[in-house]
Amino acid sequence: MSDRHDISLQTKETIIDVIAESIRRKSQAGQLASENEIFQELLNRDILKGDREESQRLFKEALEETLNRYEDLEKLPDRGEGPRFYSSQFMTQSYTRILLQKETDLLLLIAEVVRENSAVYPRPVSLDLFGDSPFNLSQDQLQGYLQQMAKEEGYRDIKQTTTSAGNVFLYSSLHLEPDYASMLAEWFDVGQFNNP
Amino acid sequence: MAKHGGWAGKVLRIDLSTGRISSEDTVEKYKDVLGGTGLGYKVLWEEVAPGTKPFDPANKIVFGTGPLAGTGAPCNGRTAITTLWPTCWPKPLVASGHMGGQFAAELKYAGYDGIIIEGKADRPVYVSIMDKKVEIKDARHLWGQGIRRTTVELSQQFGPEVCVAAIGQAGENLIPMSVVMNAYSHSAGGVGAVMGSKNLKAIAVHGTGSVTIAGKKEEWEKLVKLHLSLLGANNQHVVPSSPQPWAEYYSPGSRWKGSRGNKWGASEPAIDTGICDPHDLNTIAYRTNNAAFYLGDIAWKYTVRGNGCTGCPIRCHTMIKVPSVAAKYGISEVGMNTCGGLNFGRSFFRKFPDGARGMTSMEACMVGMHMSDDYGLWCNYSQLQRDFLKLYETGIIKNKLGEKEFNSYSWDKYEKSDPSFLFELLPRIALKQGELATALGLGTGYMLETWSLSEEEWKKDNRLSYWKMGHPKHHASEEVGQCGVIINTQYNRDPQCHSHCNFTRNGLPLELQKRLAAETWGTQDAIDALGSYTPMNIGKARMAKWSLIRKELHDSLSLCNWMGPWVASPLKERGYRGDDSMESMLYSVATGDPKSREELDRVGERIFLLHRALTIRDMGTKEMSTQHDTVPEWVYNDQEKRPAYTKGTTHLGRDDVKLAMGMFYEEMGWDKTTGAPRAETYRRLGLAKVAEELGKKGLLG
Repeated sequence: MSDRHDISLQTKETIIDVIAESIRRKSQAGQLASENEIFQELLNRDILKGDREESQRLFKEALEETLNRYEDLEKLPDRGEGPRFYSSQFMTQSYTRILLQKETDLLLLIAEVVRENSAVYPRPVSLDLFGDSPFNLSQDQLQGYLQQMAKEEGYRDIKQTTTSAGNVFLYSSLHLEPDYASMLAEWFDVGQFNNP
Repeated sequence: MAKHGGWAGKVLRIDLSTGRISSEDTVEKYKDVLGGTGLGYKVLWEEVAPGTKPFDPANKIVFGTGPLAGTGAPCNGRTAITTLWPTCWPKPLVASGHMGGQFAAELKYAGYDGIIIEGKADRPVYVSIMDKKVEIKDARHLWGQGIRRTTVELSQQFGPEVCVAAIGQAGENLIPMSVVMNAYSHSAGGVGAVMGSKNLKAIAVHGTGSVTIAGKKEEWEKLVKLHLSLLGANNQHVVPSSPQPWAEYYSPGSRWKGSRGNKWGASEPAIDTGICDPHDLNTIAYRTNNAAFYLGDIAWKYTVRGNGCTGCPIRCHTMIKVPSVAAKYGISEVGMNTCGGLNFGRSFFRKFPDGARGMTSMEACMVGMHMSDDYGLWCNYSQLQRDFLKLYETGIIKNKLGEKEFNSYSWDKYEKSDPSFLFELLPRIALKQGELATALGLGTGYMLETWSLSEEEWKKDNRLSYWKMGHPKHHASEEVGQCGVIINTQYNRDPQCHSHCNFTRNGLPLELQKRLAAETWGTQDAIDALGSYTPMNIGKARMAKWSLIRKELHDSLSLCNWMGPWVASPLKERGYRGDDSMESMLYSVATGDPKSREELDRVGERIFLLHRALTIRDMGTKEMSTQHDTVPEWVYNDQEKRPAYTKGTTHLGRDDVKLAMGMFYEEMGWDKTTGAPRAETYRRLGLAKVAEELGKKGLLG
């Protein structure tokens, strides 16, 4: 084999290592990786250089090989902002759903979180949840989305209940009856703390 | 392989009347009941006659640890303290308190598995145990001091390594609502006055020895690592409280509060608790922040760190530093405790001007801890505070007190939820000053009797959480339906059992919980969704039996029942399964006495049965179902009069509860009607002599 071929192989292996490491690092940090970000990192670290078109070709090849080689590295469907990647070693599918939805449709994200909680656990969801990571919505943003939801047909099942402590919880009437949702909200907001 | 590892080998016996100090061989005499509460029940059965009262010199206090105390087993470190209970009403009966901290380990390192305190000293004394050197010493210079001063004095005398378990003025003044406390914040409720009645101020212990593990080092280390890997956060909550990258599930009810951005803000430098991936066993201590759990996110800013028992990675006692309270209230800016202890002060107030999670609430916690943990006051699982609220809000306090005493309290401060009000109330309870304080200090049952108040009234009001015999419920029907009811009928104080609710509150979705329930108790119907209860079934009876047996096992092995058992885990790769044999595996390797899960559960059942026998003997009746295992009225009531088992309700049906008790009795091998254990059950569990004695008195089922 020629020296040039050896160097090329070496570079490709390095690129694969960096791609894998980058996706895993971002997953551990609670973030999805995008193609652009990974590509830019390779450029910044001088691992890819020279002709842009050639670099991109090499990158795409290496990316595909990386995904095939490592079981934990997953590609998420492209929702218009380019594909996203994560490592199942550090991130779960349920978390990726939140992050992906956050990028594209916050209204739907809120509704889906409420519906999932109402169906699966089951329980209503405190508004406070959406102010914390990974949602990080401000009070104004949240109120805006709730008002929007109230007007749209597709969100008629998203209801509110207020606890004795004055805190608002959301639930889906598809999965929780009003009395039941109210009782559960009261437990999670007040009752469980009175029963340490 | 060493013979009988785990146990230190000796139980100390100290007669305060005669000054005699002796010891007994633990394994020879007490192996069949392990230690802890088992040791306590056995001593009381064999040595304390029925009719003895808590403050009689003939009463005994048994400080019991178990074979796992002082080992590397996670969540060890508990000392069970068993005695005749001063707040048990109308008749004192056997009960136990438990304290964590460092006492259990130090006692083991000194060479002892337990201490039996007998008699009564003729003057205030403390006991010092420095390895093999055990002495009864003059405590007159300590008498009248708070727990902190006592601890400091004895630490200065014996060195900083010493562990001091002390009573405060409350115990000295024979206030039934009093504690013994070690290591700053670790208390055992209800026993302070019994120590006080014996003139026993403190026990100071330090050991330079170690605990031998019978098994091979590699085997033990592998087991400890397995146990660590299965741990969740406090109360074995196995999911985080908010979405985390590594987590499939989360629950706002979880005590797993650690998260990137949540920092121990008062530590220097501030520590970010991070994502707390469950595979990272070095960050277990970052998961739990009970101050943040109870007081809200505001508590992060004031959190110094987590603290806790010897060798336990959970660190459920949160240390908080609130600089403003020093100038405002003249108290230490640092406080530390968990659950009822943390909330001691704020629980006296119905609400705060800035909300349940504002600064005033936190200040009330600091003021409360400052006094209760020094005077040595007990809250009886916050029944003290609930009683106070009821008495005030219904005007009973005003009716019962003379005008002078009533006006001596700043009720305007109380109405404004000013934490400084507590400076007027708590010292008076500890020092028995005034009629109100004296009544509150008696405990609920004797308070009701003294003030001619109706126990039935207390039993109807679900806000009071009152159950029976002067004590509240502790995880009952409000969250674990019939299983919770059964558990709460069984003891002579609140049951302090968390086996069941650790599971139901673990945060996993219902489907997963039901799968684990089926694997553990034979049917997924053993558990219901919260507030969506179904009628009684055999699975629930099995779960109740398992919960009680495991509680006794933990209290006898020195494992923490606030953490175990370990049916569930945070590990997705295990299907969120823990290992229900954790206790038996640890026991077998530590002691060299191999026991399967079923075999060790039989020992736990034996210990629980001994408690039952003691209760029956000392009550003088076998009619336990009607005389002892009673259920308060509020369990059956719904404010909106909805039928039982309607979604959104937690009340139960009378017939169904009767069925539940009958099924439980059958599961236990007890008479289905009376609830008294049968002779063959005692014999099956190695208590033939107990059966014989009860048989002579006509007290068998």
